[in-house]
Amino acid sequence: MTELLFPTTVEEAVALLAAHEDARPIAGGATLVAMRNAGLVESTHLVSLDRIAGLAGIVRLEDGRIRIGAMTKHAETASCEMLSGSLEVLRKAAGMIANRVVRNMGTMGGSVANADPAADYLPALACCDAVLTIAGPGGTREVSILDYVEDWYETALGEGEIITAFTLPAPYAAASSYRKIARVSGDFATASCAMALEADGQGVRVAIGACGPGPIRDPEAEAALCGHLGDPEAVATFAKALADQADPVDDVRGSAEYRLQLIPRLISGVLNDISKETV
Amino acid sequence: MKIAGEFEIDAPRAEVWEKVRDPQVMVQCIPGCEGIEQIDATTYRSQVSVKVGPIKATFNLKVEVVSEEAPHTVLSRTSGEEGTRASVVSSENVLRLAETPEGGTLVSYEADVSMTGRLGKFGLGIFRKKADQLAGVFVENFRAKLGVSA
Ligand SMILES: Cc1cc2nc3c(=O)[nH]c(=O)nc-3n(C[C@H](O)[C@H](O)[C@H](O)COP(=O)(O)OP(=O)(O)OC[C@H]3O[C@@H](n4cnc5c(N)ncnc54)[C@H](O)[C@@H]3O)c2cc1C
Repeated sequence: MTELLFPTTVEEAVALLAAHEDARPIAGGATLVAMRNAGLVESTHLVSLDRIAGLAGIVRLEDGRIRIGAMTKHAETASCEMLSGSLEVLRKAAGMIANRVVRNMGTMGGSVANADPAADYLPALACCDAVLTIAGPGGTREVSILDYVEDWYETALGEGEIITAFTLPAPYAAASSYRKIARVSGDFATASCAMALEADGQGVRVAIGACGPGPIRDPEAEAALCGHLGDPEAVATFAKALADQADPVDDVRGSAEYRLQLIPRLISGVLNDISKETV
Repeated sequence: MKIAGEFEIDAPRAEVWEKVRDPQVMVQCIPGCEGIEQIDATTYRSQVSVKVGPIKATFNLKVEVVSEEAPHTVLSRTSGEEGTRASVVSSENVLRLAETPEGGTLVSYEADVSMTGRLGKFGLGIFRKKADQLAGVFVENFRAKLGVSA
């Protein structure tokens, strides 16, 4: 038997997770319920994050940064007007997750905690330089999304810790695109790519998803690409730099070889989208 | 699913062979291995736990040495299940030790693994990555046991 607990504060949730050895948080339940039904995970206590005030919703901080609560549903993120310019890529990625039912159920915290290598948020958040706020028995700490995924399904999230929020730098004028290649619409990505290009052409950020345990970004290669987006050779060099850091799996969605081939295709695709946006 | 790999150990083949065939050494080197018990001349029982993200599994394994040619080849067969759970795993394994020109040993392994039940659903792609990672840990442990560096 599993007991469902409903704390109303983060502190209470953390205390409940610490009090029961086999407890785990539950957010939207989109993934966790399916995994439990398949017998993949079991826990004596589920700590629902649903009734904790302040965990859901998107706000603009005084300094212009945007904070997204961990319990914010994909549907809300997908339609949030504050996610503009350089952050629009996150809104686009949210809108491409699964289908309407899952988008109304799943949360950003749940998706990132689960750390499916193919999750759409991982490359989109990496492209936005998001910072996670994590609360646990030792207090609260912040972790960059770029340091968050440590290995296949292994993250910086420790035992008994919960993600409470994602903080994004203040948006600036930029064109952005998110592309995902999937077997059928609504499926997880075989490979995906998030890109944001500053309006003055001075900064470009690119993240690849589903081609390794975590999202792939290379700020040095981005700096070299900057100002040469129209040069096919520079783009090819850039795509190769990212593909060299990839470590894709062979699975039902595609072979490792195929995923590597998708990286340059995705990069050309997002560049094409962006050039259309900036004219 | 085929898993294969090789690594070099800076120790003579005879010594590596002896360690590879010593259950007490192996239990300390195999990541997640909780015990190895010898049943008869060619059969062993072992418990091994693995963890992939939120999924934890403990297997009760039977390892049968099908044939061995000292000091260079062991063919074995592993079969087992996950306690009372539905997952069943089996594999055919080949282990080879070759002498390197520098007097060390090149260890190579191949395993053809099949898995059914709850873990089969999770996707073998990830398990292959996990196997590679565990192999890396094994090599580190094994080198430490032999007192050699990488
Ligand atoms: C049919 C289907 C299709 C899908 N397709 C896609 C897709 O195309 N792209 C995509 O990106 N995703 C996809 N998903 C996953 C979806 O986005 C899930 O909503 C998400 O992965 C989990 O969110 P959740 O809120 O439902 O988390 P839950 O299922 O409640 O939890 C997932 C895991 O995270 C832990 N957890 C939850 N919240 C927190 C927190 N705040 N802090 C710490 N740990 C936490 C739980 O303990 C659990 O281990 C799909 C899911 C389904 C069911």
